[in-house]
Amino acid sequence: MNVWAIAVNTFREAVRDKILYVLAVFGLILIFVSRAVGWISYGGELKIMTDLGLAAIWLFVALISIFIGTQMIYKEIDKRTLYTILSRPIRRWEFLLGKYCGLLLTSLVILAALSAVFLAYLKLMGAPVTGAILQALFLIFCEMMLVTALAIFFSSASTPVLSAVFTFMIFGVGQLTKWIVDLGNLIQDQAPGMKLALKLFYFLMPNLDNFNVRAQAVHAAARGSGWAIPPEQMLSIVVYGGAYTAAVLLAAALVFRRRNF
Amino acid sequence: MAETITQGVPALRIEGLRMVYHPGLFQRRKLALHGLDLEVPKGSIYGFLGQNGAGKTTTLKTLVGLQMPTAGRAWIFGTDIRESASRAKVGFMPENPYFYEYLTARETLDFYGRLAGMPRAERRRRGEYLLERFGLGHAKDGSMRDFSKGMRQRLGLAQAILNQPPLVLLDEPMSGLDPLGRRDIRNEILALRDAGCTVFFSSHILSDVADICDRVCILHEGRKVAEGRLPKLLGQRVLEVQMSASGVPKEGLHEAAKLARRAWHDGELYHLLLESEDLALKAKEAIERGGGTLRRLVPHHESLEEYFIRVTREGDVARLAGAEEGSAAPEAASAPGPRGGLGA
Repeated sequence: MNVWAIAVNTFREAVRDKILYVLAVFGLILIFVSRAVGWISYGGELKIMTDLGLAAIWLFVALISIFIGTQMIYKEIDKRTLYTILSRPIRRWEFLLGKYCGLLLTSLVILAALSAVFLAYLKLMGAPVTGAILQALFLIFCEMMLVTALAIFFSSASTPVLSAVFTFMIFGVGQLTKWIVDLGNLIQDQAPGMKLALKLFYFLMPNLDNFNVRAQAVHAAARGSGWAIPPEQMLSIVVYGGAYTAAVLLAAALVFRRRNF
Repeated sequence: MAETITQGVPALRIEGLRMVYHPGLFQRRKLALHGLDLEVPKGSIYGFLGQNGAGKTTTLKTLVGLQMPTAGRAWIFGTDIRESASRAKVGFMPENPYFYEYLTARETLDFYGRLAGMPRAERRRRGEYLLERFGLGHAKDGSMRDFSKGMRQRLGLAQAILNQPPLVLLDEPMSGLDPLGRRDIRNEILALRDAGCTVFFSSHILSDVADICDRVCILHEGRKVAEGRLPKLLGQRVLEVQMSASGVPKEGLHEAAKLARRAWHDGELYHLLLESEDLALKAKEAIERGGGTLRRLVPHHESLEEYFIRVTREGDVARLAGAEEGSAAPEAASAPGPRGGLGA
């Protein structure tokens, strides 16, 4: 009940913030501009349009999650609005989870709105719309689940600027985790310590590249195939995302539990 | 009040509450509370006084779970403050309360009502009632951005008593308000007490405290320096006694006048200002020996402000003496807070 009340309030805060609409409009513009990029490229215009459209949605939902998420808890402390909330019979983890769910709900609504426009636009342009595209969109949401948790974690312990820097860093590194493995393989046995450190780093960092099936989705859609990746692979990605998100939220709750306001 | 309260249990009990802040690696730790003991009886208005930095806000924040005490315990109607259930019996208004600017006053109260677990119809009914009662009816659908300080303060009190808690904790509720605003808040506090609620509030506006409090606690640099019922605390020390008499012959009058700090004639009456009750008794005897009649005898007690200044000074002297003897704890010297005047 408490979690839901805070989540609804957080969602209300986000939808009454003009910045959200500015970002959403930019997202829409990029979806439509993807068509123009398709025109100037040689062949496969619809594939490029689909690819760019999906990337635009991914980028703008990520920006919204990170920008709002990294400010969220700090703003509550700075504006002292949490004094009248945490002084009620509510546990701190409930507050944190409520803020997280509210932001995730915001991301979901934005993602759904942008996706609806995008899919309608694809249909209008005669591009194939298959389950593979929906799969890619769903995995964008799963990725945002994790990114939002990271933003909340840093926001519960640090300032908005530092939180944004850390979240963007992990967001960036998370896209490149495959390269970390490749780098470890290149090192071979010359520096075993370094290789171990890279391996540890790889396991600690969220593998956000897992969630990126956009290229596979575009190819599958072009072939008329239903799936970008097999359902069992998708299930393992979702479980991985859920477990990582739960661990990050747990860490955030532990940090937040001992804070004095 | 709506809550069922265990009989015989105080509204609030604090035992050895201690708070030490550790600001950073290279900064000195700060002692904000030094083993505070306190008991607030049910149904009373309790004033929590102290200079800025004395530890009032720290105590209040600790009681509602915003801060974790370094040591010590506290109970709200018998429930340990470490349990979130203790906060179901408390309404808290922080100093200069802030609210979500994107919500209206009506939405704000509805939100707090949901957090308090109130059903929708009850939230609506109680919210509307409080907005009207606190003179915010005209602004209930307006943006919180347009709220003045006084309006925020009144909304702060409204959210604290929304679910009719049996204990209300208010941090500087009259701070920054104009005389009318202060009067309104004072009247609300009295109305809460009349409704059976216990009110515990911090303030450095001593006239307001003297007007409405049953008991007070004075905190100085994290230590309790005085506590008790106001009439008892202020009645302990007589600053001067004013005496009026009639029909006193000149020789008797002369003898009594020697005992007085000041004596003057006003028509039929002769007035004397005496420094103590003992002197007043001697003067009375002198007047009666001379055939005069005592008409009026008024002892002037310390005002709360005078009492406050005296006990905080005595606290300083005791602390300094303790430090000189080397008996003071090392943290005591690093206790935070400005040593300036009230409300500085």
